[in-house]
Amino acid sequence: MAGSPRVGRVLSLPAVEPGPGAAFDDLNVGDEFTSPGRTVTEADIVIFAGLSGDYNVLHTDAELMKTSRFGERIAHGLLGLALQQGLLTRAMPAGGDDVSLGLKWKFRGPIKIGDTLHVTARVAGKRDGDAPGWGIVTIERRVLNQRGELVQEGETEQLVRRRATSPP
Amino acid sequence: MTERAAAEAKVYFEDVVLGVPFETPAMTLTETHVALFAGLVGARPADPHAVPAILPLCMSSGLGWRVPQPPLAVLAFMGFEWKFLKPARVGDTIRSVSKGLAKRGLKEGGVLIEERSILNQRGELIEMGKLTLLVARRASPDVPAADGGR
Repeated sequence: MAGSPRVGRVLSLPAVEPGPGAAFDDLNVGDEFTSPGRTVTEADIVIFAGLSGDYNVLHTDAELMKTSRFGERIAHGLLGLALQQGLLTRAMPAGGDDVSLGLKWKFRGPIKIGDTLHVTARVAGKRDGDAPGWGIVTIERRVLNQRGELVQEGETEQLVRRRATSPP
Repeated sequence: MTERAAAEAKVYFEDVVLGVPFETPAMTLTETHVALFAGLVGARPADPHAVPAILPLCMSSGLGWRVPQPPLAVLAFMGFEWKFLKPARVGDTIRSVSKGLAKRGLKEGGVLIEERSILNQRGELIEMGKLTLLVARRASPDVPAADGGR
């Protein structure tokens, strides 16, 4: 988003859809990305509870949670994980067919209704995949709230297609 | 703890028996699951029948509430390591198997390492990993008290 707008140009925000053709070759160790923000709503938590079937009182009983040390309902940890994944796809180039291999994740603090999250990510490693034409990218991710507090962090590994051997 | 909270039976740290596997009921992954998840997360896969890798993981939490024992008294989901071994497709029917691997008592509760596997209708292992959970002791004064969820 660097550079100043020029007269006559249409201003636009970064595309929501991942850019076409992003590949293993386009990512370099040390590359950093910052996602847009997203405010976590009550609706997000209700939908996630319904979808996952996780109705833990932590996420669903507003009255009981008033008596907890959080004072209110908090988001499911895995909702935070899911939201950061969506946020980062809006900031980081990715192929349409990346394959998730695994992740290591820490939940550092609560996410409350009304909190606005964003993700910072860094390419931490690149190596060959087992299959020719693919590479493995390790990405460190940090999920921060509106006060800059770290709420979740971890690293993910994904298979990304190489440009050199991609079909045209 | 309120009377309402006390009314919900829980498995506390002391009650966890290591090595005993619990298998959940199964659930068929539908286009609706994928569309709801895509809308919630804000990332829509190009192939509408491709199941996002973390969706089965998210659903295994709720499936874990449907085993023949009360839910764990989880104070905090501290972290986890996870492997995605095979992709899931719309129409696949997944179930999850969990067991306690290790536990370590702390002052206010205890840390439980849970191994969880997700299998499809052919019995193929599609995802697995280890979850680190902070679980309340029976005497804990303020359940619920912390982060996470299962």
